[in-house]
Amino acid sequence: MFKRFFTKADIVLLVILVAAGLATSVFLALSGDAGSKVIIESDGKLYATYRLDQNISVEVKSKNGTNTVVIENGRVDVTQGSCRNQVCVEHATISRSGESIVCLPNRLLVKIEGEGGDGPDVISG
Amino acid sequence: MSSRDNRTGRVARLSLLIAVAMIFSYVEAIIPYNPGIPGIKLGLANLVTVLALYLMGPKEAATVNFIRVIISGLLFNGAFAAVYALAGAALSLAGMVLLKKTGLFSITGVSMAGGVLHNLGQLIVASLIIEDLKMFFYFPVLLFSGIVAGIAIGIASALLEDRLRKSLRL
Repeated sequence: MFKRFFTKADIVLLVILVAAGLATSVFLALSGDAGSKVIIESDGKLYATYRLDQNISVEVKSKNGTNTVVIENGRVDVTQGSCRNQVCVEHATISRSGESIVCLPNRLLVKIEGEGGDGPDVISG
Repeated sequence: MSSRDNRTGRVARLSLLIAVAMIFSYVEAIIPYNPGIPGIKLGLANLVTVLALYLMGPKEAATVNFIRVIISGLLFNGAFAAVYALAGAALSLAGMVLLKKTGLFSITGVSMAGGVLHNLGQLIVASLIIEDLKMFFYFPVLLFSGIVAGIAIGIASALLEDRLRKSLRL
């Protein structure tokens, strides 16, 4: 039964393909360690950058006010803001490259850049 | 049979294969199965491509493939998706023709390579259009799904080949 569907060359090809797949997976997993960056801008200037995969709580102080940015388990949240409207605090957590949270009154921008967590929307065919 | 009959028969068989491929494309387009990751599918229509390659030849397989992709692209998936599919189909068929010519591989092995190349072709076009090599983070997923889908299609083709050869009188 098995021989009817597979020749030796088939098996060799299968092994090569699987090996290539595993090799690229490992390579991507290792090179993906740098991961995404969390970029905090205050007053239009770069305030700090952090890795998305670290857990940290940062208090961002500027002349406009303070915000607390929490990075936890690959998600970024603004948990506290001295601003009046609290839009930044009520904003959902962000985790994907390209997403951002803005606090306009305090002129704060928190955004995620880089690869990872941002696969293609659609591959068709 | 005169050569005229042969020609007619060839046109009829090609049309038949294209029709079957269209149905497969349609069935696949309406089945709401979602493995959670985009881009992974069985590629039922490739069954027809593989069979066309083995039963009729590279030229016929290319014809069936091309027409199938264009029409199903316009009908089900959108013209834009047809560009991806066409690149995948072209690369896949070219690879399958070459592997078949070596005579080393069974229909399953040829189909497996076809499945992988199909996904690879689409990924190449996608990264050209989006101009982002990050797309290749997706490569292993598509590689493995191509292997699995290709083997499944290959085994189905192996089972169908002899029967179809008889019933289509090829």
